[in-house]
Amino acid sequence: MIERKETACRDCGVIVSLPLHPASSQYRCPRCNALLYRRGQPFGYIIVMALTSLVLFVPLTFLPILDLNIMGLHASSSLFEALWMVYRDGYGFIAFVSMMTGLLIPVLMILLLLMILVPLKMGYRPTRVALWFRLYEKMREWGMAEVYLVAIVVAIIKLLGMGTLHIGPGFFVFIFFFLTYYITTVWFNPEDIWFDDALDH
Amino acid sequence: MRWITDIERGRQLCLHCRKLHTLDVHVCDRCGSPVHQRIPHSIPLTWSLALAAIVFLIPANLLPMMVVQSIAGEDAGTIMDGVIYFLEHGEAGIGIVIFLASIFIPFFKLTVLFYLLLIVHFKWYARAKLGLKLFRIIHFIGKWSMLDIFVVALMVGIVQFKHLATIVTGPAAIAFMMAVLITMFATETFDPRLMFDTLIKLQEEKHSHPQGSSHD
Repeated sequence: MIERKETACRDCGVIVSLPLHPASSQYRCPRCNALLYRRGQPFGYIIVMALTSLVLFVPLTFLPILDLNIMGLHASSSLFEALWMVYRDGYGFIAFVSMMTGLLIPVLMILLLLMILVPLKMGYRPTRVALWFRLYEKMREWGMAEVYLVAIVVAIIKLLGMGTLHIGPGFFVFIFFFLTYYITTVWFNPEDIWFDDALDH
Repeated sequence: MRWITDIERGRQLCLHCRKLHTLDVHVCDRCGSPVHQRIPHSIPLTWSLALAAIVFLIPANLLPMMVVQSIAGEDAGTIMDGVIYFLEHGEAGIGIVIFLASIFIPFFKLTVLFYLLLIVHFKWYARAKLGLKLFRIIHFIGKWSMLDIFVVALMVGIVQFKHLATIVTGPAAIAFMMAVLITMFATETFDPRLMFDTLIKLQEEKHSHPQGSSHD
């Protein structure tokens, strides 16, 4: 007899019973096909990927993403410098929201994941794990690094007509930062931290 | 097939950690989030946020997104001007991307939101599954409307050549960003389960009139 637990579909409310230790890698709602369970990767893998992402974020703060030359005049800008200009124009709120959604929320999500997973991996449950988990879940909707990445590509195409454009190293670092951030969040299944056996996961 | 939902069973789901609770629980004992059977005030909140987003979309489309100041003079362009510029200059691909992200997606999202609200209001259970598919689409594409805001921020950041050429943020940017954020909040407050809940009432009515035929 397989142990089962009851859950409800968050999209249509139907009651479903799932095996307590899922055999399949994912389960979907029989009525509306919503994802009910997706197997996460071992915490060790996620920690390594999250650390890589964190390391890649450091150079992003100062490396130029674009370098533009118009008639001998020269300008280059990192992601944070670009937002500083928007703030200086008097649109502090735009600068703030862009910085949060495009850059800070992704990196905060990575930090929160590390704060949850590293202690679990080392064998004890952090006292504030519930709070950090709630913050992580709230941020999930608002991380927009991929939109920012496409925005850089659009800006590059727009600027090509204005002068000589060089793509700075910051752009390539940002691509790798986004990839590692994305893989980290996909690998992590939040339900894994609540299992009683999470400690030796 | 008859589906048993959390309402009939007297259960409620924690939307954060997905633990199933009985109705006497108010705060999830596992992750500490407030627990409700359905998102409180979901319908009136979604209505008001969707209407507010429409108000912000008007200046967002009529005012300039960014102003290019150069020796040739000042050039202020709205979102649509930007799209037309790219279509005319042989960059149709980028024009279409901006059109989709900045004009099509905001209006599509709001149209879908109103449709979902009508499904709940008129108890169109037969359209609940279609509604849920549309809900998942707008949930997924919502953040892409921020694209133009990021583009403006980057352009403003890099094109700073004193008197030769300078780009300044336009007033439409703030209105557009407000519209995008408000529609994202509207999507988050809408509870798709409400579309399916109407079936419970339909089945109860059917139960009291046994001659009615089955639809599901």
